[in-house]
Amino acid sequence: MIAIEHLTKRYRKTVAVDDLDLVVQPGVVTGFLGPNGSGKSTTMRVIMGLDRPSRGRATVNGRPYHDLRDPLREVGALLEAKAVHPGRSARNHLRALAASNKIPFSRVDEVLEFVGLASVATKRVGDFSLGMGQRLGIAAALLGDPGVLLFDEPVNGLDPEGIRWIRDLFRSLAAEGRTVFVSSHLMSEMAVTADQIIVIGKGHLITQGSVSDLTAAAKGAVVVRGNDRERLERALRAAGATVEVVNDDALRVGELSAEAVGQLAFDEGVVLFELTPERASLEEVYMALTAGVVEYGSGSS
Amino acid sequence: MSAHPTLASVIRSEWLKFRSVRSSIMGVAITFVLTIGIGALITASIRTHWTAHPEAHIGFDPVTTSLGGTLFAQFAVGVIGALFVTAEYSSGSIRSTLAATPRRVEVVLAKLAVLVGSLLVVSEVAVFVTFLMGQAIYSGVVPTASLSTPTVLRAVLFGGLYLTLLGTIGMALGWLLRQSAACISVFTSLILVLPIVTFLLPSSWQNTIGRFEPSTLGQSMESVSPPAHAFSAGASLLVLALYATVLMAAAATALTRRDA
Repeated sequence: MIAIEHLTKRYRKTVAVDDLDLVVQPGVVTGFLGPNGSGKSTTMRVIMGLDRPSRGRATVNGRPYHDLRDPLREVGALLEAKAVHPGRSARNHLRALAASNKIPFSRVDEVLEFVGLASVATKRVGDFSLGMGQRLGIAAALLGDPGVLLFDEPVNGLDPEGIRWIRDLFRSLAAEGRTVFVSSHLMSEMAVTADQIIVIGKGHLITQGSVSDLTAAAKGAVVVRGNDRERLERALRAAGATVEVVNDDALRVGELSAEAVGQLAFDEGVVLFELTPERASLEEVYMALTAGVVEYGSGSS
Repeated sequence: MSAHPTLASVIRSEWLKFRSVRSSIMGVAITFVLTIGIGALITASIRTHWTAHPEAHIGFDPVTTSLGGTLFAQFAVGVIGALFVTAEYSSGSIRSTLAATPRRVEVVLAKLAVLVGSLLVVSEVAVFVTFLMGQAIYSGVVPTASLSTPTVLRAVLFGGLYLTLLGTIGMALGWLLRQSAACISVFTSLILVLPIVTFLLPSSWQNTIGRFEPSTLGQSMESVSPPAHAFSAGASLLVLALYATVLMAAAATALTRRDA
């Protein structure tokens, strides 16, 4: 479990994270979403004890990172791709990490095998592709078989096969009861990977909840088509709905549920050909949530 | 089994890192080549011109001259020390290192132990080899020195310590500056530019300030009888060790206070 309490992190004059509170639970994949520059990486660096909080604190399994007795055995992290000396081999990089935490070298070959890098274990990391670098970073995160895992933008540089592999990996790690905390600036990625979602913007918590909670909270619309469009439109407006004419015979209705629209049509004697609830996609929810907090917007929105 | 990262396991990790990159191996090879190769050139040249230049016989020191290669090797050890740290920053691997060992002072101590251990062996082997080779080249023509003379043994031994301490200073600069280019500029300035600046000062100041310069301390450490106005060999070793200690302490403080 990861807990963040009143975390504020200031770099000179910029506030990267502002009074953030959140809890990341074990057993599920938690997506950490926000536009670029929203404070995701800063939060993760503070959790890992790399950056010192200006205020507040972050704990892993109830203790600050600095107090963990065997950090790699409790927390594994992929913070940036290819953060490895380019002249060192993948195996030597992992062995150096293993040695510092008294993890047996046999585990190094296990994780290299697991991420599919066994055949290039003795090659210089400098010759690795970005995707191979990501896999090495994941191998490093899994090295100590930790119960808490952090992945900062793990999908960057992976090919479709790699993306599929990593999604399955997150799910199986969570299913084993581990805490899996994955950051991304892409909602579409998190929609198919995460169970729980935390959205931040400009260092503030915007919302958190399950994927279904978030989409349900967003107001959907109902598309309705019947044999008397004008009559139906009048009745809907009278009932307080917002109505938009989609084409000759279809209407998009807001503020009313599909059940209410159907009942109204029945009361008015309108024969319905179609009654479709439209659910906002998670992507749309996310865009709406973060619209006000995009640091480097394109200006058009 | 306790998995608590002890200093010994962190040292093991750093030793693995040190010997698994080409830059360390190259640095060690260059240290040998410069110390021994330039020592051979200097001593062979002195032997060739010995009889033609009797004026150079006064105050001739067969020890210092045979150790002349250390003047060049000092840059190699400085770079070894600096790169051992700055390579972690340029690649970003410092974050993995500090995540694995959150007690940052342990990382500083482990890297220091690995560097001092390696450089001590490399430097001492290099200076003893170059000394013995130089005396062999001199023999029969130029007066030679023997390790059975205590001051000679001390001068050669201190030659190796001088290189080791300069490597340590390079490492401290690495922690403080975190960039290879900045480290190498500062290190080179300390060794080469400082004496030039001192030379421009009034002569009374030259002697007072000059003795504190790393290069003067090195000359004093590597000679049988230290130059005039310089500290004794023992005092020079202490001053240089003090520099290294103060810089390393500053490095440890900086690392614990800064964000990674």
